[in-house]
Amino acid sequence: MDFCLSTEEETLRRQVEIFVREEILPLEPLFDRAPDIFEGSRWKSRAKLSRDPEVQRYIAVMEGLKKKAEAADIWHLDVPKKYGGREVSNVAMIAATEELEKASVPFELGNHVSTILYACKGEQVERFLLPCIRGEKTACFALTEPGAGSDPSMMAATATPDGDDFVINGTKMFPTFGDVADFVQVFARLPGSKGREGVTCLLVDTGHPGYRVVRSVETIAGSEPCELVFDNCRIPKTQILGEAGKGWELNQAWLGARRFQVGIRCHGTAQRVLRRVEELLRGKTSERERWSASLGHFRGELKALRGITYHGSWKADQGLDVRFEAACVKLFATELLHQVVDFAMEAIGPASFRKEHAIARAFRYARPRRIVEGASEIQRHMIQRALFREGIACMELQ
Amino acid sequence: MDLRLSEEERLIRDTAAQFVAKELLSREGAFLKQKEPFVPPGDPRRRMLDDEIEKTLVEKAKRIGLWALELPESAGGSSVGQVARVLIYREFGRTALPFEPPPIPAVVATSRYAGELASGELSLTLAFDETHKTGDLSGIRAVYRRKAGAYELSSDGIDVIHPDADLYLLPAVEEGGGAVGLFLLEKNAPGVRIAGVGDLTDDQTVARLTLRACALPSDHRVGVGADVEAIIALEQFRIAGRSLGIAMRCLERSLEHAKDRVTFGRPLSSRQAVQWMLADLAVDLRTSTWLTLEAAWKADRGMPYFYEAALAKKRAARMAFQAADAAIQIHGGYGVAKEFPFESFYRSTRLMRLVYGREAEIDRKLGERLAESGS
Repeated sequence: MDFCLSTEEETLRRQVEIFVREEILPLEPLFDRAPDIFEGSRWKSRAKLSRDPEVQRYIAVMEGLKKKAEAADIWHLDVPKKYGGREVSNVAMIAATEELEKASVPFELGNHVSTILYACKGEQVERFLLPCIRGEKTACFALTEPGAGSDPSMMAATATPDGDDFVINGTKMFPTFGDVADFVQVFARLPGSKGREGVTCLLVDTGHPGYRVVRSVETIAGSEPCELVFDNCRIPKTQILGEAGKGWELNQAWLGARRFQVGIRCHGTAQRVLRRVEELLRGKTSERERWSASLGHFRGELKALRGITYHGSWKADQGLDVRFEAACVKLFATELLHQVVDFAMEAIGPASFRKEHAIARAFRYARPRRIVEGASEIQRHMIQRALFREGIACMELQ
Repeated sequence: MDLRLSEEERLIRDTAAQFVAKELLSREGAFLKQKEPFVPPGDPRRRMLDDEIEKTLVEKAKRIGLWALELPESAGGSSVGQVARVLIYREFGRTALPFEPPPIPAVVATSRYAGELASGELSLTLAFDETHKTGDLSGIRAVYRRKAGAYELSSDGIDVIHPDADLYLLPAVEEGGGAVGLFLLEKNAPGVRIAGVGDLTDDQTVARLTLRACALPSDHRVGVGADVEAIIALEQFRIAGRSLGIAMRCLERSLEHAKDRVTFGRPLSSRQAVQWMLADLAVDLRTSTWLTLEAAWKADRGMPYFYEAALAKKRAARMAFQAADAAIQIHGGYGVAKEFPFESFYRSTRLMRLVYGREAEIDRKLGERLAESGS
């Protein structure tokens, strides 16, 4: 048993560590005053539409960081080599994100490419995948419906074959960036199919006839997911991602490794929240004493989160099934972040509730985490299902 | 990073697992159901392992290297690392039969008792009562003073678990406030008084030890403060490892029972209240497992590990307690019946949470340490 990163992984981690220290941390005071839109990653698509010079100034800072990261060859870390990336391991990605998360600046290494797009074939590669990798296009993800979320059997949207086309009909809820993305990865079922059978993923340009953004919904975290309607939206079958009828498997594969990123991000956010609490309590002896046990408790819990996150991504690197580990990490991480933020407010008091306060921001950011990409209840369901199916074997050491 | 067990670790784990299955779990049922009255009257009765069986088990454990885990091979021990030790105790934790390799800290290796301790002819107990509340040296009140090439110990009274051991290992602080020393004393040494023998809730015995001008030859001082801290950390690993095993057993049996037991026409396993109890337990067990193994790995690599050991013990023991609690709840009336192991786990894990650092104390220290380092 060896918990050390490999030489290659350690080199990357140090590279990112230095980059964060030299380039990103100095920007923290600036970003503490940033417009709300710079919370999380939504600035990447939405802020670009803003004419506000203040917003544009921050975007310029981000672009500057991006150029430096590209120059340091830490930009396309998880992109496969054949598309010009470094294709580093899951563990290396976790280590890089852990370093990145030490700063509160919402800068990410690489453009956001949802992993399912790597299923692109033929002309799809040039049209959808590569522009995302290059940052020229953004995509949104349309799975949830007014009456269906994590349960595919409730999915009502249909993709009906008609000659060389598929005709999509249905409503999709909450795709973030549905209004600003260039194309959408939409899931719909083949007529007459049930359960997870027949779910098909199609790539649809957002300007396509029959695609309509009904409205955007403001949320607690500031993101503005949309309600989309597909009304006889006719798409050539060449725009099916993967295979027709195999969309659910595609979606599951995407969620797997990503959950460990969620784990390390929650870890990082929670660490920063605790650090902020420490700073605010510094010099206030009696307050400090009052909360030190809780601070210690949460530091310990975060160590526990870090441990299972690395273990899960290591296991993913071995090519093993990590659905059980992924569910554990998603559940534990998001619930823990929520508790940490809740504690931080308790420790700091009403001052932490000002909208621009880092803790208030974390408070708003943390709440949807327990819902998106599979609510905690779904995770518990998946965990118990694995337990009853495999028995204690799924808890044994390899 | 390679989180697979190495060949050697796997071999040790499998050896321990086989021993536990063949020698201990096979005897557990009869042990739990025993009806013969045992010595000191208690309420409920204390259960003990039959002397003859225990002797056999010690011999068998010694033969396969599952004895004197901490002692170097030169002193007759198996000298395994902490990862291996955690893996071993994790297997022993799976049974409620009160048998495991007793901790024999490496500091006694150079003492005149080493051979007999390693062979099991002599037994040793850690009289670490004063470290239990805080999990560190700050609570030690037993005092020693140097006197003409020897030491004189005194103590107003500490509780000693397993007081019928032949030797006591006791930390004491130098008179007038000073360095901590670690002393090995014979139960029958002059000045040693044992009184008020009683039972603990987990079937172990306890007694009050007082020391009045107890004179010890200089070679009975076997360690200093750092050794005491290291022993505390190793005890925390032992408890954490045991806790993991207890939780594995509770989870395994609860899963089986929930599948079999039908209420109102449906198996318990179809009830969300039961499913979630077990899902939360599985997550907790997983986090505690990796926390413990990483801390143990750090110890083996010579990295600082005291805080990690304390954290692992805190989390794992609490988790095991909750595992026992959940297992009892799921088994219903059988859960609290003494012929099942769960009530026994429930009692023993409650004590595990109290020794070598109470939870709030470990949390507080971790919190304060962060304040100092500013990280």
